[in-house]
Amino acid sequence: MNIVARELRDGLKSMLTWCGIFTVLVIVYMTEFKAYAYNEDMLAILDGMPEQLMDVFKMNSFNLTTLTGFYGILFTYFALMLSIQAILKGNSIISKEERDKTVEFALVMPVRRSRIITAKTVAAVVNCIVILGFLYGLIVITAQQYMPEEGFTEFLWLLILSTFIMQMVFMSIGILLGCVNKRYKRGGYIGLGIIITTYLLSIVTDLSDKFDFFKYITPFKYFDTLAIKTDMKLSLLYVVISIAIVAVSLTAGYITYRRRDLYI
Amino acid sequence: MNIYKREMRTKLVSAAIWSASVFGIVILFMSVFSAFTQSTDMIDMIMQNYPEELLQAFGMSGVDIGSVAGYFSMCLLFVQLTLAVQSSIYGFSVLSEEERDMTADFLLTRPVTRTKVYFSKILASLTAMVITWAATWGSTFFNIEVFSGNKEYDPAIFVKMMAVIILFQLFFFSTGLVISVILKKIRGVLAYAMSLAFGMYMISSIGSIIREETLGYLTPFKYFEPNSLIIKGRYEPVMLIICCSVIVAAMVSSYILYIRRNIHAAS
Repeated sequence: MNIVARELRDGLKSMLTWCGIFTVLVIVYMTEFKAYAYNEDMLAILDGMPEQLMDVFKMNSFNLTTLTGFYGILFTYFALMLSIQAILKGNSIISKEERDKTVEFALVMPVRRSRIITAKTVAAVVNCIVILGFLYGLIVITAQQYMPEEGFTEFLWLLILSTFIMQMVFMSIGILLGCVNKRYKRGGYIGLGIIITTYLLSIVTDLSDKFDFFKYITPFKYFDTLAIKTDMKLSLLYVVISIAIVAVSLTAGYITYRRRDLYI
Repeated sequence: MNIYKREMRTKLVSAAIWSASVFGIVILFMSVFSAFTQSTDMIDMIMQNYPEELLQAFGMSGVDIGSVAGYFSMCLLFVQLTLAVQSSIYGFSVLSEEERDMTADFLLTRPVTRTKVYFSKILASLTAMVITWAATWGSTFFNIEVFSGNKEYDPAIFVKMMAVIILFQLFFFSTGLVISVILKKIRGVLAYAMSLAFGMYMISSIGSIIREETLGYLTPFKYFEPNSLIIKGRYEPVMLIICCSVIVAAMVSSYILYIRRNIHAAS
């Protein structure tokens, strides 16, 4: 419990910063949304767009003049940011002890290494939940002025849930990187590589059918906002894949960290 | 010279890895080019029938996604994103890493002026960035040559796209640099660098979706947008000026701040 509290206090500043960033973003975009909200003219323009062109912008099935459509497009970017935050948080919460040269101190305390990992994981999960929950509250509150249409609440809830699963996937990969890498600097760079590669793959998947199998590799494609909107549920297959990734990463992290040499 | 050499030794490996990633991205995109063009002939036909201002709104005016340059501009966005991350990492880390690794007091007690330390370090990062820039040129022209098939293209437009990439890199480098000297302590470089690069990317893409042009002045992704370059055939003077002034201002102020910085030493 001490460690969890300590980690939460340590992460408070960055957590507040993230909440601040999201406050600014949501307020700016909700102000922008004014021009779109249920605007018939805009809808007519958008309807006239060629379908393939809309496809590039993912607009074909999203009606930008509704809250559902607006957030359907916007949320991809929020999820991207939260994933970056999660993988870096997961990595740094483990590796920062070595970076800040406090690892000897932490590990001579009378707690097992596995308990340290558990506590740190709990702290990281709480951290992710707080930021996501804050974003959720923010969106719900700012959306009130536009009188959300039917189904928006449910859609938003699914978006949040899918983002939470993505956060957990990336966070556990981050923790694994922090546990495995002897050089604390390397873990972050690998995490960065993973984010860029998977995001890139999620874009390339749309370009050609040949790359269809990429959708199993990149978490950014697991919960396509479009599919969520049409089905109004998350695909079970990808939920299972995500849970498997989380389980494997965390187990591997525990095993390696318990017996690894520390970088001092 | 010694500091430069010392820095270069680590930076060379890093520059090589980044160059390889850029090559990978370009080859990934260009290898689907022929498959993509077969299905886009339709798009072009439809697109020609649409009002000019509508297409302009999407930065698509006059751009044919089926052409080599039009298609490549999509790929270039990701190359830019990668380079933005690299440059920001360099910018944030180059001056702050000594303090983080507790080697700052060692370095700064050597008989060299801080000016010299500053310039050697900056020069080493610049060299690494120029290497990556050169690799970007190389991978672009190589992959276009290999994968463009029988499609014609105008090399001049690609030269123009590539030429400004270094300014784009410098923007992120110098912004990172100045932030790193303003802050008292930077614990994790990556968090800052990723926020800067991806934040700018996000502002740019959401800006073009909701068509808010003022957002464009904030982000380098809009300064050198390949689409407007293809249409107009020249750079936007305003954007070019903004970018250069940000770079110069950030460089100068980072120098001044670093020279008089209170260095946190290992106790």
